[in-house]
Amino acid sequence: MNYGKQPDYMAILKIDDDERKGRLAFFELTEEDFQRLRALKPFADRWTHEITEGLYELLMGQPESRVFFPDDATLSHVKKMQNSYFLGLFSANFDLGYVRDRLRVGATHERIGMPPKLYLGAYHRYLHLIHMKLVEHFNGNETEATKALSSIRKIIFFDMALAIDTYIAAYLETMTRHQAAIRELSTPVIKVHDRILLLPIVGTVDTQRAHQIMETVLLQVVEQQAKVMILDIAGVPVVDTKVADHILKTTAAVQLLGSQTILTGISASVARTVVQLGVEITRMHTRAKLSEGIELALSIVGKRITSKTSHGGEEVRP
Amino acid sequence: MTSGPIPILKIGSTLLATIQIELHDTIVDSFQNDALEEIERTGANGLIIDISALETVDSYVARMLANTAKMAKLMGAGTVIVGMRPAVAATLVRMGYFMDGIQTALSLEEGLELQASRLKSNTE
Repeated sequence: MNYGKQPDYMAILKIDDDERKGRLAFFELTEEDFQRLRALKPFADRWTHEITEGLYELLMGQPESRVFFPDDATLSHVKKMQNSYFLGLFSANFDLGYVRDRLRVGATHERIGMPPKLYLGAYHRYLHLIHMKLVEHFNGNETEATKALSSIRKIIFFDMALAIDTYIAAYLETMTRHQAAIRELSTPVIKVHDRILLLPIVGTVDTQRAHQIMETVLLQVVEQQAKVMILDIAGVPVVDTKVADHILKTTAAVQLLGSQTILTGISASVARTVVQLGVEITRMHTRAKLSEGIELALSIVGKRITSKTSHGGEEVRP
Repeated sequence: MTSGPIPILKIGSTLLATIQIELHDTIVDSFQNDALEEIERTGANGLIIDISALETVDSYVARMLANTAKMAKLMGAGTVIVGMRPAVAATLVRMGYFMDGIQTALSLEEGLELQASRLKSNTE
């Protein structure tokens, strides 16, 4: 199976050797457990296949989990992985490499979209199967079986914690990425013409977004040495005093840089509200339509749009 | 030439002051004096103040610069403040300081163009 390129969860979750030791201590894994696990190696060799089969009986029996194993090749691969995981537990070598492996598996589960409930449910079945086999292995000696199960349970919980941590880290990572994308999308500055920029504002403008708009506008004006910045507010549902104030401040700041703004997309209702609210917008150029704003901007940079011929346009082929 | 901390150069009939040090109250006071005296001495009809090196401008400095521009204008020297940084503009506006009536330009080059076109329209 190709695991693809994954983020470095060791770094994201800040797992170093101290953290690993801390986790082992919290799950009360001691040298005694390690020794017991190593002593159980023959048990593992003897029963791993049956335990794995029992686990997949559950996973293949439920429609929700069955979809993750579409064909026999996948199934036999994951069973093999499961066996090697199980046998690995009884080497009791829980170093950083082991932790990295657990994180990788957790991330893979998250990536293929397996929900944590299936992951935890499967582990429940797994522990139950191990318990049954332990009782059988120790010929009904409950005390020995319980001790063995306790050690196995500790490391399994240790593993589950790592996997759940990767789930959460992966979700957070996705969310952060989406937020960045939304931020970027919310202020798309477009170069209309030489030294003319356009920012179409769509959606509600809250204080945070207004700050972001101002920041982007100012940076872009300086970076592109724009003479004119057109702000199109046709897509802003409600223009209240707050929004008007933000636009006013942005305009003033642009003027301080030595550039100008044109406010376009002003509908009748917006014009009415603005005047009724008493917002002073005489300091900025305003136009009802974006096309008029672009014409004004062109005239500011000393250009204008003219018709080519007196009798309409000619055919233009791509 | 002036002897103050901010050199004021004469290019044609325009004076150019490039501010390259952070402005304290005393420096901005002496700059105002120097600039006005230079205009009187040279009879310049334009003043360009380049603040592109300034990372911060507080309200006192902003007011002093705006006042200098207004005073220079009274003496017949139209003033352009050029090269204000985005962060400075944002801060001034958030403080409610809009520098009304002050001419600005994106760069020194634009400032010089502005002065040139003004002189042209004056002589026409």
